[in-house]
Amino acid sequence: MSAGLAGRDRADTRPGGAHGPQGPRGGGSTSWRRDLGIGARFALASGRSGRVRTVLTAVGVGLGVAVLLLAASVPAMLTARTDRSDARQIVWNDGPTPGQDAFRFTGADTTYRGQDIGGYWVQPEAGADTTAPPPPGTDRWPAPGELFVSPALDRLLDSDDGALLAERLSGERVGSIGQEGLVGSGELYFYAGTDDLPADSPRSVAWGVSTRGEAIGPTLTLLILIVCVVLLMPVAVFIGTAVRFGGERRDRRLAALRLVGADTAMTRRVAAGEALTGAVLGLLFGVALFFLGRQFLGGITFRGESGYPSDIVPSPALALVIALAVPVSAVVVTLLALRGVVIEPLGVVREAAGRPRRLGWRLVPGVLGLLLLAPLAVTYQAADDLTLVQAAVGVVALLVGVTVVLPWLVERVVARLHRGPVSWQLAVRRLQLSSGPAARAVSGITVAVAGATALSMLLSGVEDEQTFDTGQDPSRAQYEVVAYGLDTAASRRLVSDVGGQPGVDATLGSVNAWGVETDAGMFDFQIADCAALREVVETDSCEPGDVFLTETGRPGGGPEHPDPGQELHFTGEQGSWTVPADARVVPPRLDPSGVESSGVFATPEALDQGTLPDVITRVLVRVDPGEPDAVERIRNVAWGYGFDTAIWNMQSQRTSEEFQRIERGLLVGATGIMLIIGLSMVVSTVEQLRERKRLLSVLVAFGTRRRTLGVSVLWQSAVPVVLGLALASLVGTVLGGLLLAMVDVPVGSWFVFWPMAMAGAGVIAMVTFASLPPLWRLMRADGLRTE
Amino acid sequence: MNPPHAAPALLTATDVHKTYGSTPALDGAGFTIRAGEIVAVMGPSGSGKSTLLHCLSGIVPPDSGTIHYAGHDLGALSDAERSALRRTDFGFVFQFGQLVPELTCTENVALPLRLTGVPRKEAERRATEWLTRLEVQDVRHHRPGQISGGQGQRVAVARALVNDPRVLFADEPTGALDSLNGERVMQLLVAAAQETGTAVVLVTHESRVAAYSHREVVVRDGRARDMAGAA
Repeated sequence: MSAGLAGRDRADTRPGGAHGPQGPRGGGSTSWRRDLGIGARFALASGRSGRVRTVLTAVGVGLGVAVLLLAASVPAMLTARTDRSDARQIVWNDGPTPGQDAFRFTGADTTYRGQDIGGYWVQPEAGADTTAPPPPGTDRWPAPGELFVSPALDRLLDSDDGALLAERLSGERVGSIGQEGLVGSGELYFYAGTDDLPADSPRSVAWGVSTRGEAIGPTLTLLILIVCVVLLMPVAVFIGTAVRFGGERRDRRLAALRLVGADTAMTRRVAAGEALTGAVLGLLFGVALFFLGRQFLGGITFRGESGYPSDIVPSPALALVIALAVPVSAVVVTLLALRGVVIEPLGVVREAAGRPRRLGWRLVPGVLGLLLLAPLAVTYQAADDLTLVQAAVGVVALLVGVTVVLPWLVERVVARLHRGPVSWQLAVRRLQLSSGPAARAVSGITVAVAGATALSMLLSGVEDEQTFDTGQDPSRAQYEVVAYGLDTAASRRLVSDVGGQPGVDATLGSVNAWGVETDAGMFDFQIADCAALREVVETDSCEPGDVFLTETGRPGGGPEHPDPGQELHFTGEQGSWTVPADARVVPPRLDPSGVESSGVFATPEALDQGTLPDVITRVLVRVDPGEPDAVERIRNVAWGYGFDTAIWNMQSQRTSEEFQRIERGLLVGATGIMLIIGLSMVVSTVEQLRERKRLLSVLVAFGTRRRTLGVSVLWQSAVPVVLGLALASLVGTVLGGLLLAMVDVPVGSWFVFWPMAMAGAGVIAMVTFASLPPLWRLMRADGLRTE
Repeated sequence: MNPPHAAPALLTATDVHKTYGSTPALDGAGFTIRAGEIVAVMGPSGSGKSTLLHCLSGIVPPDSGTIHYAGHDLGALSDAERSALRRTDFGFVFQFGQLVPELTCTENVALPLRLTGVPRKEAERRATEWLTRLEVQDVRHHRPGQISGGQGQRVAVARALVNDPRVLFADEPTGALDSLNGERVMQLLVAAAQETGTAVVLVTHESRVAAYSHREVVVRDGRARDMAGAA
């Protein structure tokens, strides 16, 4: 084979005419093509072990490529979701002109066991003869009593789990909403037909608005940017690691090439050819994995978010960058890795001169990152594109700094480690001899931990800013049912029905009329029994027939309540009412919904609700925490009281929805990245163990305990991991502090790195345990066989 | 070479069978070695020499047949007990040395002692003694990647003998060396073994290496034939 190879080389290079006395030389395109081709043949046809190495590289690169393609699809995914969401918004700003074929509508969003369900009540004014466009995703208008539901909602309603919801959405399901009417495949959505919508309901003639291009705040922009950078950096690091799998065995092959006349440059080109082949196969595998994965991703719902496979389309420009960058980086990484290796013809491969790593240039990326980010801590303005680029480059530089400083740190620290038990000695000596692979293996996880630590700091700081106190008191009531326009009897029935549901501990019903115009001014009115009134006014005594007057002392405006004995004439046709002369002026009390009200507070015996215009019935509800379905029964009751009912959940604090969506995005992304990194580390560790199969068998042959070798592997992983996590925590904390300074938010806690570091350590432990079964297998005596 | 005075059998294999997949490696092989005796196991490639050595040393359990060492049936011992036996009573030399690349030569030689619980300093003192006996004391602080093949094989012999084994298993110990280095390694190995009374099972296909033994056993098609007996 050697002679044939050498002969082929001579024949191929003849046209170039660059033969030296030692054989073919030069780095022209012909030489590159020839040598890359030899490398490709080594990758594909060098026996089982060579193919295994190529497959491992391809799998590693493929996983990374699939994640990158997924990330490149995010813009298209968001656009498709936004477009479909916009397409089903109803245009009603100006309202239709009289005579247009309009439809009435009202929102019917509800919640079921923590899942949000969106929907509309709809009513074409021309009934079945309407020519108004039906809701997106449907082929006709639902008739009164009919429902169009999304496939996910259809399945939920058919399931045992959806039995309570089926009582609420009890209409006849006559069709499914198609993809063009849904944001995601798992979305719960419906259109309910009716002929009962009030005449003053909103009207429209068309569906669809456009919210594209709406600006988001500087903090959120920065957050999204950092999330993207932090999630993608470990993938890039991992691809760099994957193309170096099996380096030792490859070096032995290259030594054999040197023996038959290849020069140093040629062997490097051959090595590049091997790496390129693995990377290209990985690229193909990644594309296949991406297309398989998007089918899977289209079918799952995570925390209420879902999509469609057809939405997951990589941006052509980004896909092109990935297709070019992955093979090119494979070649560059391989050539860089070979810089420190001397491959000699006699098959001896030695590390060149054993030169210690230098810190100087390794500090450059980190310092550059600091220099880019530090000024932004004073002047950050997200509206400026250049500033965003500066921020992104700064974060990337700082995180790259972690990956380049880590090998130096590991080398320096392990050089100072002292001797210990055999397992410790084997691990430390191994790291002292070659700490590069170990540092590379953990570099992905350290970047992830550094980035996640910074994000956590930013999130925890911003969370405080984006979270506000509602003033609500869930200990007094957890839910508030609100219904508009009920008469006296219906109001009483609503309070009674809600109170009668299993799991409801207490209810406080009231009828409210806010901003009622009278000849004496504008006042708020609330009618309720004494138990409910005591929740809103400070009073020791209350009897049926009593009336209380309160004022909050708000600045400006007229009087907050009428005087006792004053006669009020309501504007319109509601008539008049005289405030009882014994009405008492008392201080207001914060109600469970966090509101302190002024005005007139009357018992039903003192004021008939029919006297007041535009009344709102409110029922404050306290439920048994042990009855999680109590609220669903309450929702079912409220659903039956017309279109204008709502149920609010009392929370002492609320966080912005946009912020929560970013948190969800980070969680989804971080989970995926951790899994990819964990998987890649298992592959990398097993690959390293395979390289040492014969040595492991020999150690077992002369009586080394398996436990000793297992613990040694653990130490070998643990030392770089501990150092990596320490470095990651430090850099992550510094980066988090800078990011918070940029958005002008004080640091909430300096110790948020702790859970991140623990999570990283957990992944490493998982990897070590997952590596033990192959380690046991490799320690068998089979490794001693040569035939 | 003259055989040692008649001594009881130290290691005996009877009717040993071993198959890898569908390929029979040993097919009723028998073997005996006495204390201090050097026996060369010869045969062509693939004849089952190394498999016989692996079975005799308890690395691989035979499919059938018995192997007795100093009155113990190896088949009746657990994996842990066989490992302990290899740590205390056996030594090994392989074709390519198989030194641990990250440890220095001294640490490599001290490794079997440390595995049996000998303190590091004492283990390394004894390792240095053996490196001196095998004339490689100059490279004691070097790693295997920094020394020649002949030096590496002498370090491997030192590692095999450092725990005073009763049996040394040597699988093609000179197979990767030139003749000059191979001769020197065999001289040192045999001298050291005879000095300590260690029995040596010497797997080789080279007659010049086999010439260092008291007796030759030829393995062919999985069966062992004692050439002394045949003569």
